[in-house]
Amino acid sequence: MDRRYFLASALTALAASCRSQPTAAVRTPGQPDMVGSQSAGAETFKPLVAQAMTELLARHCTQVIPAGVNTLPAPPKRICFMGVENRSAEEIGDFKDQIYQCIDLHLVQSQTFQPVNKRYVDAGLMQLRMRPDQVFIPQNMRMFTATMEQQGQPFDYVLIATITSGTTREGKEYQRDYLLTMELTDIRTGQYDKQAATLSKGYYHSHLAKLGNAMGWKR
Amino acid sequence: MASGCFWRCNWLVLALTLCVSGCATYADQRARVQALFISGDLTKAQEAIDKGAERRFDRDVFQLDRAMVQLAEGKPREAEQNLREIRDRFDQLSQPAVGEKALSMLTDAQREAYHGEDYEQVLIRVMLSLTNLVQDGSDAAAYALQVNEKQQQVIDAAKLPDGTNPKAGYQQVAFGPYLYGAMREATHANYDDVQRAATVVCSWNPEFPYGQQDLERAKHGRHSAPGNGVLYVIALAGVGPRKEEKIEFPSQVALLIGDQILSAIGDQTLPPTIAPIKVPRVVLTQHDVGSIGLAVNGQRLGRTATITDIGQMAVQQHEAVIDRIVAEAVVRRVVKKSVIYGTKKLTGVQKHSVEGFLLDMVGVAWEATESADTRCWGLLPDKIQVLRLELPAGEHQLTLESLTAGGYPLGRPTTHRVEIVNGANTYVLGNFPHGNLVGTLLTNHPAKQIELAQTPAR
Repeated sequence: MDRRYFLASALTALAASCRSQPTAAVRTPGQPDMVGSQSAGAETFKPLVAQAMTELLARHCTQVIPAGVNTLPAPPKRICFMGVENRSAEEIGDFKDQIYQCIDLHLVQSQTFQPVNKRYVDAGLMQLRMRPDQVFIPQNMRMFTATMEQQGQPFDYVLIATITSGTTREGKEYQRDYLLTMELTDIRTGQYDKQAATLSKGYYHSHLAKLGNAMGWKR
Repeated sequence: MASGCFWRCNWLVLALTLCVSGCATYADQRARVQALFISGDLTKAQEAIDKGAERRFDRDVFQLDRAMVQLAEGKPREAEQNLREIRDRFDQLSQPAVGEKALSMLTDAQREAYHGEDYEQVLIRVMLSLTNLVQDGSDAAAYALQVNEKQQQVIDAAKLPDGTNPKAGYQQVAFGPYLYGAMREATHANYDDVQRAATVVCSWNPEFPYGQQDLERAKHGRHSAPGNGVLYVIALAGVGPRKEEKIEFPSQVALLIGDQILSAIGDQTLPPTIAPIKVPRVVLTQHDVGSIGLAVNGQRLGRTATITDIGQMAVQQHEAVIDRIVAEAVVRRVVKKSVIYGTKKLTGVQKHSVEGFLLDMVGVAWEATESADTRCWGLLPDKIQVLRLELPAGEHQLTLESLTAGGYPLGRPTTHRVEIVNGANTYVLGNFPHGNLVGTLLTNHPAKQIELAQTPAR
C-alpha cells in the first residue's frame, strides 16, 4: 500500500514538475476576439474601423441621377490618405499600421474612392520633409499637390484618421471611450466631411467587479 | 538490520551530495570570457564560451555571451538568430517547474534552468532590435515594441495578492522607446508616435541630456532638412554588472540558533548551520569610459550620452528581489536538515550516537556544497549611450574615440566611413568595454566605395 502510495505520489510530482509549454491555435472566423485587459485591442479597433468605413462609404456612394438623363457615373474621388494619428491615452503599438491597412483596403475596394498608394504619399512627404500636420498650410499644400502630380498621383481629397479617447474613473474601475474619426477634406474648397465611430470599454480591477457590472449591480 | 539500513542511507546521502553539489567553475569561466572580450581577442573568447557552455545548466547564459561576441565580430545575423532562440527559451523557462524547484531545494539554486534576470530578459529584446537594425531593419521596430511589452509583463507578473508589487518601482529601459521613436521619425509620417516615444524617454530617464531636444523636434520639427540624413551612434560602453557570492551572515546565525534549540529539545539532533548561507549580489565593474566622442570628417561634433544605465538597473532590481532569494536559501537549508532528520528517524538512530554524529556531518557537508546562483549575462555593457546628428547626405569619415567622464581621450581613436542617406537614418553600433573599440563597428549603411574596416588613426 505504501509502495503504491509512493508511486502515485512520485507520478503526481513528475507530472507537476513539467513546465507548461506555450501553445497557440488558429481562431475560427466566428470566434469572438480576445478582450485586452489593460488597453484596446482587436475587440476595439476592428468594430471601430468597420463602422466608420461602412458609414463613410455608404454616404459617399449614394449618387442621385435624375430620371431620363443619360449621365455617366462620377469618377471615383482621388484620395490621399495621410495616415492614422493616435491621440488617445494608450499606445496602440503594432495596431497603427494595421488600422491604416484596413482603412486603405476599404477605400481600394469601395470603387467610390481611389486612394493614392501609401508609398507615394510617404515619398512625397519625405521629399519635402513635411510633417503630415503641416500639409494644410496653403503654401505647403501647393507644394505637396505639385509633388504628387509630378509623381503622377494627383488627388482631390485628403483623408486623416484620428483615434482619441476619453477616460472616466469610478474608484478602481474606469471606462474608456474610444473614438475613431475620419476626416475627409476637399483640397480645392476646404470643405470637409467627418465620420466617426465610437466604442466604450470598461476596465475592472477584478473578475468580481466585472461580473458585478455585467449583472447590473454597479452602473 | 537497522545498522545496514543506516549505512545505506548514509552512503546514499553522501553520494547524492557529491553528485549534485554546486560547482564553482562558472564564475571563473565567465571572468575569463569577459577578460578575453575586453582585450579584443574574440576568437579565444568564443573558445572560452564553448568550454563554459559544455555544462548543461550554463549553456543558455553563455549563449547570450556568444551573441555579444558574434555582434562584435560583425556577424549580426548569427547574433540575432542566437538571441531569438534564447528569448523564446527564457520565455518558456520563466514558467514555474515544480520538479526543478524541488531539485534545487536538495542542491542549490544553480540546478534551476536559468531564465535570465528581469533586466536581461528586457535587454535581449533591445539587443535583438540593434542586431536587426544594422542589417535591413525589417524587424527592428517589432523588437523595440517588445521591449516595452516585456517590461510591463515583468512588472504585472510580480503583483502580489495583497495588491503590492515589489517590482513596481523598477527602472525602465528608455532605450526601447528611443529606438522606436527614431525608426518612426524616419517614416516622415508618424510624428505622433515619435512624440509619444520621446515623452516616455523623458519620463523614464529625465537625466538623458538630449531628451527634451528630441521631444521638441517631435512636436514641432522634422526628421532632417532636405538633402540631409541622420546619424545615430549607439555605443555599448563599459563593462556590465556581474554577480558574486555573498555570505548571508544574519540568516546563518538565526538558523544556527534555531537548529541548536531544536536539537536540544527534540528527539534527534539537526546538522548545525556551520556552512555559510550563500546568496548572489550584483557587483559593478569599475571602468573609465564616460562617453564616446565623435568627429565627422575631422571635426568634433559631439559625444554620446547615457540613455540606459544597465549597471544601476541591475543593482536596483536585485535589491527588489533579494529578500526572496534569501528566503529560498533558508528554506533550502530547512529541507536539507529535514532530510537528515527523516533519515535518522527512518533508520532508528539514537540521539547523540556515533551514527547520528556522522549523519550530522554528512548534513553539514551537504549544506556546504551549496553555491549561490551567480549566472548572469557577462558581456553586457554598463551603459547604452546614443548620439544623434543630422548630416548632409553622402559619404562621411567618422572618428570615434572613448573619453573619460571629464572628456579626456581614453583609448585609440578609430576611423570608419559610412554613408548618410537623404531622409533616412544611418545607425552605427560599437562596443567600448574599456578604452578601445572591441571588434568591428557595425552600420546599416556602410560606405560604398571603401569597405567598412577598422583603421587605427594612430
